[in-house]
Amino acid sequence: MTGLVQFFAIPFGLGMIVIGAGLGIGRLAAAAADGIARQPNAADRITGAVNLPLFLLEGVAILAEVFALLVLFLGR
Amino acid sequence: MWVQEIAHQTEHAAPEAAGEGFNAGKTIIEHISNPKDHPILHLPTIMGIDFSVTKHVFMLWFVATIVFVVVTWSVRRYLRQERLVPSGFMNGLEAVVEFIRDQIAAPNVGRKWVNTWTPLILTFFLFILCANAIGLIPIFDVLGLLDHWVLHTGDHSVVKRIIHGGTTATANFNVTAALATITFGAIIVAGSMAHGFFKHWKNLVPHGMAWPIYILLIPIEIMGMFVRPFALTMRLAANMTGGHIAILAILSFVFLFTEMFHRALAGIGVGLIVSVPLAVGISALEILVVLIQAYVFTLLSAVFIGMAIHVHH
Repeated sequence: MTGLVQFFAIPFGLGMIVIGAGLGIGRLAAAAADGIARQPNAADRITGAVNLPLFLLEGVAILAEVFALLVLFLGR
Repeated sequence: MWVQEIAHQTEHAAPEAAGEGFNAGKTIIEHISNPKDHPILHLPTIMGIDFSVTKHVFMLWFVATIVFVVVTWSVRRYLRQERLVPSGFMNGLEAVVEFIRDQIAAPNVGRKWVNTWTPLILTFFLFILCANAIGLIPIFDVLGLLDHWVLHTGDHSVVKRIIHGGTTATANFNVTAALATITFGAIIVAGSMAHGFFKHWKNLVPHGMAWPIYILLIPIEIMGMFVRPFALTMRLAANMTGGHIAILAILSFVFLFTEMFHRALAGIGVGLIVSVPLAVGISALEILVVLIQAYVFTLLSAVFIGMAIHVHH
C-alpha cells in the first residue's frame, strides 16, 4: 500500500499538478502575448495585470505540491 | 519546519536499505534541512523551545546584519553629503526604494497610505532578496571542501558543526511563516487604521445580503484570512527549497553513475556532459527565481494590505 502511494499516487498527483499549473500559466502567457501584440503601448499595464493572477496560480500549484509531499512523508 | 523536519526524521528512522552506498535522498535532505542535532551553538531548551543556534538561525542573523549595516551606512553617508545627489551604491538603493514605492506600494495601498506601508514592504523586499541571494552562494559547501582538503579540523570543531545543512534562511518554513505572520498582522492593522477596529471585521463580508448566504460566507472569509499568509509561507519556502533540491539531484548523478558502473570515469563523464551544464542552467534560473520570489512576496503583501484598506463589495 505504501509502495503504491509512494511510487504511483504521489508522482501521478505531482504530474497532474504540473499539467494544471502549466495549462493555467500557458493560457495567461498566451493571452498576455496576444494583448501586447495587438496593443504594444499597453505592454506595461498588461504585464502588471497578468502578474498577480500568475503568482496566485503558482501559489496554488506549490500548495498542492507541498501537500503531496506531506502525504508522502507522513505516509511512510 | 514541517516538511523538512519530517523528512529529516524519517530519513534517520528509515533502515539503511542501501547499505553503505551513496544515498542521494539522504544527502539532499541533509543539505536542505535545518540540522537540529548539529547546532552551531548549543543553548538550553526553555519552555519546550530549543534555543540552540542552528545554521538557519545563524544565516538569518547574518542576513539581517548585512541588510541593516549596509543600508543604514549608505543612507547615513548619503544624508551627510552637501548636495543630496546619490552616487555609487546609493543610486542602486534609491532605484529599489522608488521601484517598491511607485510600482508595488502606491498602486495597491493607495496614495494616502503609501508612506505608512512602504517601509514595511521595503524591508520585506530587501530582507527576502538578500536572504535568497546569499543562500544561492555555496559558502558552507566551499568551507566543507576546504575543511576536507586543507584545514583538517577535529570532529567536534565549530567548522564541522557549521558545514551541516543548507544556507538559505528563507528556505526554512519557520522563517517564511514568521514573515507571513507579520503580513497577517499588517493586514489587520491596515484595516483597523483605515476603517476602525470593528468596521474592519465587518468589512470582511459584503453587506446587505440574505442571511443564509452569510452562513456560507463567514467561514469562507475566515478561512481565506488564514490561507493567504499560509500560501505566502509555502510559496517562498518551497521555491527556495525546490531549486536547491533540483541542483543537488542533478549533481548527485555523478555519484550514482560512479556507483552503478564501479568506475569514477563514468561519473565524471556524466558530470561533464549532463550534470554540470544542467546545474549551471538551473542556477541561472535560480537567480531569476530569487528576484521573482522577493518581488512576489512583497507584491502580494501589498495587495493584501490594499484589500483591507480598499474594501470593494
